[in-house]
Amino acid sequence: MAVLPTVPPEAPRTAPGVHLRRLWSVRPASDREAGDAIVANFILHWFPARSLKESMEWRYSLWLGTISTALLALLVASGIPLLFLHIPSVERAYGSVKDIENVVTFGSWMRAVHRLGAHLMVATVFLHLVRVFLTGAYKNGVGRGQNREWNWVIGVVMFLVTLFLSFTGYLLPWDQLAYWAVTVGTNIASAVPLVGAQMRELLLGGRAIDQPTLTRFHVLHVIVLPGVLGVLFAYHMWRIRKDGGLARADHATRLPAPAEVPAERTRTKTYSLLGVARGQGPLIRASSVERPETTVSSVPELTRRVALVMLGTVAVISILAVFVPSPLEEPANPLVTPNPAKAPWYFLWLQEIVTDTTIRIGSFTVNGALVGGVILPGLLVALLVVWPWLDRSPAAAAGRWFPRSRRTQNAVFLVIVAIVLLLTIVGTFSRGPYWHLYWPWQAWPEMPTRF
Amino acid sequence: MTSDRREFLKKLGIGVGLASVAGQGLASLRSLVPNVSYDAPTVVKLGIPAEFPEGMKFLPEQRLFVFREGNVFHAISAVCTHLGCTVRAEALSSPVVKKVGGTELRLTHRFLCPCHGSQYTGDGQNVAGPAPRPLEWWALSIAPDDGQLVVDLAKPVERSFRLTTA
Repeated sequence: MAVLPTVPPEAPRTAPGVHLRRLWSVRPASDREAGDAIVANFILHWFPARSLKESMEWRYSLWLGTISTALLALLVASGIPLLFLHIPSVERAYGSVKDIENVVTFGSWMRAVHRLGAHLMVATVFLHLVRVFLTGAYKNGVGRGQNREWNWVIGVVMFLVTLFLSFTGYLLPWDQLAYWAVTVGTNIASAVPLVGAQMRELLLGGRAIDQPTLTRFHVLHVIVLPGVLGVLFAYHMWRIRKDGGLARADHATRLPAPAEVPAERTRTKTYSLLGVARGQGPLIRASSVERPETTVSSVPELTRRVALVMLGTVAVISILAVFVPSPLEEPANPLVTPNPAKAPWYFLWLQEIVTDTTIRIGSFTVNGALVGGVILPGLLVALLVVWPWLDRSPAAAAGRWFPRSRRTQNAVFLVIVAIVLLLTIVGTFSRGPYWHLYWPWQAWPEMPTRF
Repeated sequence: MTSDRREFLKKLGIGVGLASVAGQGLASLRSLVPNVSYDAPTVVKLGIPAEFPEGMKFLPEQRLFVFREGNVFHAISAVCTHLGCTVRAEALSSPVVKKVGGTELRLTHRFLCPCHGSQYTGDGQNVAGPAPRPLEWWALSIAPDDGQLVVDLAKPVERSFRLTTA
């Protein structure tokens, strides 16, 4: 009888890149585990294994991008129940929103969360843009192959999509605000030379505001624009890693190393630890970056901060929404324009400039709709888009607040921001019936609401 | 030869694929341009002329001001020429007589826009604010069948236009 040697059962081999541990640790005990937590994880796409401490400083980025992301997520989440409850029909939309407000359990709170989240998102996305401009974070630093300009352009587009999402969103209740906003908004579109009339017809789905109009704005609001924003967001995040992290990282490489850098670490190397595959990413002369003193494991240091910011944002909105009710104007009435008919605050500066920019030269008149509604905002956006290529400041100015070399452009930018804010304030507090100017403390005259 | 054919088929395949994608895109966009308009008709009967009050009447459905002086009628659009809000009429404390289109007209109102503050005199002339043009004057006529006043909201007329009824 032959005795077969007992062969121990062979452990199945893992395919390269596949990790045995299905769950990853949020509280890694070692650097190895911390690295594993990133590599074995979806977050690998977004976060590097180790993050630069300086990039995570609160006072550098103010975390405005993360707050915007949290708001986007919250808006998608709170939008879904509203999507079930809202009826996109001109006869029933108003009633359904009224039901959400007054009949549906937690309806008014959910609507307030969605509305406040949207208002705040416009604000934080704008502030994020301001922060990136002031810190020159669209500038390439010391890495080879960086392309931060494009991420800035993507960001500008995302800001515009955010505004368009807000616009299409406040149309859905089909109240007076909605109806007259569509009237004015689409008339601005029709002021575009040559294609204006066709653009208006395409937006309205006809020549008058009716059911096709509401259907179009509804589809844009719930599918098209969120989809576009989602794709752009993913690309925006991916580009940050492709560009070697925040511009702060480039700034950090220029600082003297906190400890003496061993000779072998000063050779040219990639940003691999900061997230890009070796050889693909920008090359920098590593000095203080990547040293254990300057970086931390992304899990849990970065993930914890992100979680904190996101949960904090959700908490703030949830609480605010209890106290701030969402207004609903009278049902859409094509027969009566409200007096004054005001846009939401983030469009009031535009309402101001379309008011003030009708140009008359002799008998020749250019409508303010074209100058203030198309040309001026178009110029501002065009300027934002091309600015990274016009900015000739040195690479050392990237990733720092108010560097000397960018003093003039930062000042000009802030002046433009201040003008926009000033016009917004005038529109909000100083415009009364017939769009006349009143002091904020001045009472408006009694106006008949009907003829 | 074979490599030529292979090359040709490859290009054909890619071409057909790209053309399909472009076609789908264009078709999707074109489908959104309406072919049939369900808009309200632009020629509208407004009522028996004799029943119109002396002076001004606002017809919200048509966004229209109809003016009557005895048996003379004219109609001015209430759509602001700036961005399309509906202007409101404000009665003047004392009527003004102004020569409009060759004949004298008694102006009892002025028009103000609530959206961006445009102002018009009682004959529709823009005098302040961003409005680039005067308010439209629309053609009035008498329906041959029942004698009602008819407005054509697609037919602008000169400010000399007056409709005199029998």
